[in-house]
Amino acid sequence: MIEVNSISKAFAGRPVLRELDFRVPDGRITALLGANGAGKTSCLRIIGGLLRADSGTVRVGGIDVARDPLAVQRQLGVVGDREGLYERLTVEEYLTLFARMQGLAGAALRESLEYVRRELELEPLWRRRTRGFSQGERMKVSLARALVHRPQHLILDEPTRGLDVLAARLLRRTLLRLRDAGTTILFSSHVMSEVLELSDSVLVMARGCIVGSGTPQALIREAGCSNLEDAFVALAYGDRQAGEVPA
Amino acid sequence: MNRLTEILRGPTAALLHKEFLEAWRDRRALWMAVCFSLLFPAMLAGGSIFMVKKQAEEISRLALLGSASAPLLEQRLRGGGLEVDALAEGDPAELLAGDYDIVLWVQEGFAEEYRNFGAPPLYLYIDSSSSSSPRAQRHLQERLGALQQLVVQQRVTARGLAPQLLAPWRLEVRDVSTPSRRGAVLLAMVPGLLILTLFVASLATSVDTSAGERERLSLETLLLQPLPGWQVILAKTLAVASMGWAGALLALVALVSLMPLMPLAELGIQQATTLSGVLTMGLLLLPLALLVAVVQILLALRSGSFKDAQTQLSILQVAPVLLLMMLDMSRVELGGFFWQLVPLVGQQQWLKALLVGESVPAATLLAGSAATLLLVAVAIRLGARALQREALLSAA
Repeated sequence: MIEVNSISKAFAGRPVLRELDFRVPDGRITALLGANGAGKTSCLRIIGGLLRADSGTVRVGGIDVARDPLAVQRQLGVVGDREGLYERLTVEEYLTLFARMQGLAGAALRESLEYVRRELELEPLWRRRTRGFSQGERMKVSLARALVHRPQHLILDEPTRGLDVLAARLLRRTLLRLRDAGTTILFSSHVMSEVLELSDSVLVMARGCIVGSGTPQALIREAGCSNLEDAFVALAYGDRQAGEVPA
Repeated sequence: MNRLTEILRGPTAALLHKEFLEAWRDRRALWMAVCFSLLFPAMLAGGSIFMVKKQAEEISRLALLGSASAPLLEQRLRGGGLEVDALAEGDPAELLAGDYDIVLWVQEGFAEEYRNFGAPPLYLYIDSSSSSSPRAQRHLQERLGALQQLVVQQRVTARGLAPQLLAPWRLEVRDVSTPSRRGAVLLAMVPGLLILTLFVASLATSVDTSAGERERLSLETLLLQPLPGWQVILAKTLAVASMGWAGALLALVALVSLMPLMPLAELGIQQATTLSGVLTMGLLLLPLALLVAVVQILLALRSGSFKDAQTQLSILQVAPVLLLMMLDMSRVELGGFFWQLVPLVGQQQWLKALLVGESVPAATLLAGSAATLLLVAVAIRLGARALQREALLSAA
C-alpha cells in the first residue's frame, strides 16, 4: 500500500501540494487525475524519494520514504514523464545494469531479464542500442526497466503520452496483468477513456489537494454528470466551469 | 573478501559499469581526448625542431666573387654568423638559387682604388623573395660596418686625427641566450600542458554525464535507483577521470616516444626522463585527474543547460594554466612543503623535476597526493548534496 499522509510542498514559496492525503490499496490500479500544474508529478516524485515533502509523511509498503528512501526504491518501479534512455547502451545492457543496480544477480537476474523480454515483446529490440527508438519503443524499454526487479509497487507518470495505438494497448494489457498478479499501481493520466478502462479507483487532484476519490462510476454519480470528463471538470473546477464544457 | 566480491558484483559495480560504458562509447569525447593528447606532444616536437632549424638558419652563406681583388676581405668577413666561400667566378642568380643566401662581387681594380684612398664599389646580390636573404644581408652589413669603421679609423689616424671624432661610441649587441636555456623554456611548458590535457580530455565526458544526463532526462531515472548519492557521483567521477587520465597518459607516452626524434641535444637538453620517472608521472596525475573530474561534474551539475556547462568548463580548463603562469610570473618560491600540498602547483613542480630526471621525495608525493584526494572526497560529498537539489529535477 502507498500511504500519503497530509503532505505539503512549496517551490520558492509557491505552494504546490497542500495537505495532500490519500491511500493506494494493494493489488489495485489507481489513477491520479489532474490538470497541468495540479501537483501530480511533484506528488509522484515525493513518493519515489526524489523530492522531500515540507511536511507530512509518505509510506510505501509500510516504509517511510523520508527515513529510508533506498529501501522504498527497492520495492518501487517508476516510469517517468518523458523519460530518457542511455542511447549508447543496448536494451539488454540497459536492463541488465538497472537490474544489477536493484541488487539482482545470477539466476534471478537472468530470470527477470527473460520475464521482461517476453512480457513486453522486446526480442526485436534486445541487442539494439536505444538511439533512434520510437516513442513506443522507448516506453516499452522504460517499463521493462521499471519492472525488471519485480517491484511490489509501480508508479507511472502519464505513461501513454505520445504512444501509438498498439503501444498504448500493450501498455494497458501489461498493467492489467500486473494488477492481477498483485502489483499496486498508481498512474497519472489526462486520457479519460484510459482511466475508465484501467483504473479501479480514481483520485482527482486540483490546486495541490485531492478534491474527489472513488471508482469512476462513483465519481460520475457524485458529480451528478453523465461522463468522467464532466465529473472531473466539476470536481476540479466547480459546477460553473463544468457547465461551460460542451457536452 | 566476501565484501569485495559483493561490491564487485553488486549495485555499485553495475553503476560504475554503466558510467564507464557510457563514457568510453562516446565517440565525440574520445575523439576530442585523443586529438588533444596527441596534438600537444606533436606541437612540442615540432617546436623543438623549429628551434633547432632557426638556430641552424642563424648561419648565412655568402659567395664572394672576385676575392682575388680583395684578399683580406674574405678573411675579415668570416665569423659573426657568416660562412664565406671565395669563388673565382659564377653567376650571382644561379648561386642565389643554389646554396647561397647572398652574393658579394668584388670588381677588378678594387685593390688599386682602395689603396689610393678611393671608394671602390662592392656589388651585393640578394634575392628579396627569399626569407633568408634579409638575415644574411644584416649579417654582412654588420661585418662590413665593423670593417669599414676599422678602415676609416686607420685612414683618419694616418692623417693625424683622433678616430673618436668620427665614432664617439661603438655598440655591440650580444645575445646571451644559449640553446640550453631556450630548450628549458620549451620543457617548462610540458607540466602545464599535461595538466591542461587532463582538463580537455575529460571535458566532453563530464558535461555528458552530468548536464547531458539531466537534459536527456535520464538522470531522474538513475536517482530513483537504490544507490546513495555519493556513489552516483563517485562512479561518474571515476568514469570521467579515466578519460582525462588516459588522455594525459597518452600525451605522456607520445611525448616520451617522440623524444628520440626531437633534437634535444642540439637544444642543450639532456634526455633524462627515465621509465620509472614516466610511471611516477602517470601515477601522480591520477589524484589530479579525479579532482579535475569531480570539479567539472560539480560545475556542470550547477549549470543551467548542456551549453551552459560547456561554456563554464571551457573557461575552467584555462584557469589552471593561467594560475600556474601567474605563480611563475610572481616569482613565488614554489619549492616549499606547503606548495607541494596545493593541488595543481604540487603536481606541476613534481612533473618539472621528473622530466629532467630529478627525484621527488616519496613522502612529498604521498602527502601532496593525499591532500588532493582529500579534496576529491569533499567534492564528492558536495556532489551528493547537489543531487538533492530540486532545481536538478525541475530542469527535466
